Amino acid sequence: PVSLLAQSDTGSGFQTAALTAGLDRIPDQLGYLVISEDGVLASAGELENDEHTAGVMMQMVRTASRFRLAGSAEPPFKRMSVILEDFVYVVTVSGQKVFVVKRQNNQQEPISV
Amino acid sequence: MDLFQDTDERKPLIPHPNPVSKPPNGTDWITTSVPSARTDEQALLTSILTKTAQNIIDVSAADSVMMEQHEYMDKARQYSTKLAVLSNSLPQKKALTLPSLTSQPHQVLASDLVPYSDVQQVSKIAAYAYSAISQIKVDAKEELVVQFAIP
Repeated sequence: PVSLLAQSDTGSGFQTAALTAGLDRIPDQLGYLVISEDGVLASAGELENDEHTAGVMMQMVRTASRFRLAGSAEPPFKRMSVILEDFVYVVTVSGQKVFVVKRQNNQQEPISV
Repeated sequence: MDLFQDTDERKPLIPHPNPVSKPPNGTDWITTSVPSARTDEQALLTSILTKTAQNIIDVSAADSVMMEQHEYMDKARQYSTKLAVLSNSLPQKKALTLPSLTSQPHQVLASDLVPYSDVQQVSKIAAYAYSAISQIKVDAKEELVVQFAIP
């Protein structure tokens, strides 16, 4: 996995390791991105160096974060799922950072025998 | 002589919305009081020039201010300090910082994926909504534009 933050002279490699440690243990994960307002902090697997996907996910989650249910001040969701046929991007925001994990889509159309 | 009704060059392209053929009390409208069309045009051009001169500042025509080098530097420093102070008090450009959705990102991301039946249901609802919206149309009952006729 590539940790871009560790390569720069701002912040520390330790911080990034803490962020990404749990991500590669996520079941059937194919890759991940950790993004801040300044750009991609870390990337791995099929999302390694994928700035394009990072940009798209940032836009989508920014838009989704503006939704509000009537009478509520909080975004009404914890996780955004972008569901494609073979895989799913699961996205969440925590502490000013956006986490994107690409996972195998095990929720397929049930085959009736 | 009232030229207003006679010459074609004075006829407006768009008819006046409240056409009144005669000015009240037999006096002429102010615009037609000058007999010569040429002088009238001149007056119009002069008024345009005056308006433009009032609304536009010509910086090249201003007298150049003679300033000492140190005065100029002082002024430049003064302005840039002022600018720095003002920029700091401006609202941050990314006023919409992303709200935190969870304090447990790993747990949230590792949770079970959305069940297929839920995805199917949402897709169906979206399809119904799309179908309903595409059937919205205007039901024209009357003419939109009418002519007012004064009997």
